[in-house]
Amino acid sequence: MEEAVVEVENLNLAYRSIRAVQDVSFSVREGEILAVIGSNGSGKTSTVECVEGLRKPDSGRIIVFGKDPWKCRREVYKKIGVQLQETEYPSKIKVEELCGLFASFYDRPADWKLLLAQMDLEHKRKRWVSKLSGGEKQRLSVLLSMMGRPKLMVLDELTTGLDPEVRRNMWRSFADIRDSGVSMIMVSHYLDEVEALADRILFLDKGKQQFFGSKQAFRDYAKSRIAREEWKESDSLEELYLKLVPRQQGISMETIL
Amino acid sequence: MKRFAVICKYELILFLRDFFGVFFTLVFPTLMIMIFGGIYGNDPVYPGADAGMMDVSVPAYAVMVIGVTGLMSFPLTLSACKEKKIYKRYDATPVGKRMIMQAQIMVNFIMTLLGIAILLIAGRLLYGVKIAGGAGMVFFSLLLSVAMLFSMGFLFTAVTDDAKVTNALCYVFYFVMLFLSGATIPDMLFSGAVKTVSKCLPMTYAVDLLQGAFAGDGFSAHGVEVTVLALLTVLFAGIGAVCYRKKDWA
Repeated sequence: MEEAVVEVENLNLAYRSIRAVQDVSFSVREGEILAVIGSNGSGKTSTVECVEGLRKPDSGRIIVFGKDPWKCRREVYKKIGVQLQETEYPSKIKVEELCGLFASFYDRPADWKLLLAQMDLEHKRKRWVSKLSGGEKQRLSVLLSMMGRPKLMVLDELTTGLDPEVRRNMWRSFADIRDSGVSMIMVSHYLDEVEALADRILFLDKGKQQFFGSKQAFRDYAKSRIAREEWKESDSLEELYLKLVPRQQGISMETIL
Repeated sequence: MKRFAVICKYELILFLRDFFGVFFTLVFPTLMIMIFGGIYGNDPVYPGADAGMMDVSVPAYAVMVIGVTGLMSFPLTLSACKEKKIYKRYDATPVGKRMIMQAQIMVNFIMTLLGIAILLIAGRLLYGVKIAGGAGMVFFSLLLSVAMLFSMGFLFTAVTDDAKVTNALCYVFYFVMLFLSGATIPDMLFSGAVKTVSKCLPMTYAVDLLQGAFAGDGFSAHGVEVTVLALLTVLFAGIGAVCYRKKDWA
């Protein structure tokens, strides 16, 4: 665990009157995976999009590899790879063409033919991107995020839409990538994924930072906020998280019958 | 430069897969010249005139080609990329959306020139159409017409957020201008009221300028057209650029 590749201090972002991100501060070290968690609308995507230089923060300081990502986006993107939460591609492009196009964006692109094989997309090379299944599109998105041999990967809902087997394969791949020194910011709703991969956790709620620290510290934080009789030592991260966040009222049968 | 050429290659592939764009840019104008040439031939437009019917129609059809790319293909591509947030994904790479947009403009420009070249060759082979004007004046007129109509398409994409609204705007302006600017129906057939409307349409000035350039007129004979087209280009591109700067691309 070495020096910080990402430093965020007092980040604030509002969409008109809605304060989407309020005073958020965190850092990502070299070779570390930071998981950003929180319920829908908690400001996770807005936060990472500021780090990616795709949104201009209202205030605060963001430094990525020593540079302001909003002002030096091109420089920063030589070192970071991004998988956006929602991505569409031109409707009449084939998988291999999209890979070729993205490879042309970088001075020293990764071997995308090898990546296609590793992502189990080799047999889809000639397929239209628009005809891929949700999981295949997701894998292609992850592949494209690796095209520039990044030092930092920002993955927004990395394994959404993937089947359990592919998810586990993806976890192994990302653990290997992390071990090679690449840092990652991973937005996720899957706490099992966070438990398996993350080194540190940033927990947001309604745009406010609730917690930032190690996984063990997050467990302690959750326990300190839950009544003693409600948690067990054997509770998984997901179980603790569900006890920590307010329960949503479900749809009752009376409503729909 | 190599990177830009590669991006252009992929944008060209995308253009060629769009049947509508290819047909109306490369095929339809030649069909027009075959149909109307078959009806009117290339006889003088009036007794004793130097230019034949097809000699004056070809530059008008050339504006039709520019209209297809400038008001249909280019803005429709741009609005789709904007609405689907494809540009946002490109922005998350070292090249950014600007270079992709430049490649899209370049491909549409090249296809415009190709469409006009096919039109000229067909006109020459079928009806002996000749260009009396100098290459410099003709090329300048083409460039100015391209700049104006592409800027107009760009403006439409900048002032609308919904691709369907952009498409509707482009279709309405394209077809109104197509029939009332002299690009398809010779303006000598227009009544007084229609002529007045025609004079309010930007494409009319492109048709007049290109017809003059093909006939051998110099700049001095078309000062009004050159001025109007140049001013509209600056106005459309300027307003469009300002609107884009204010947009939230993410």
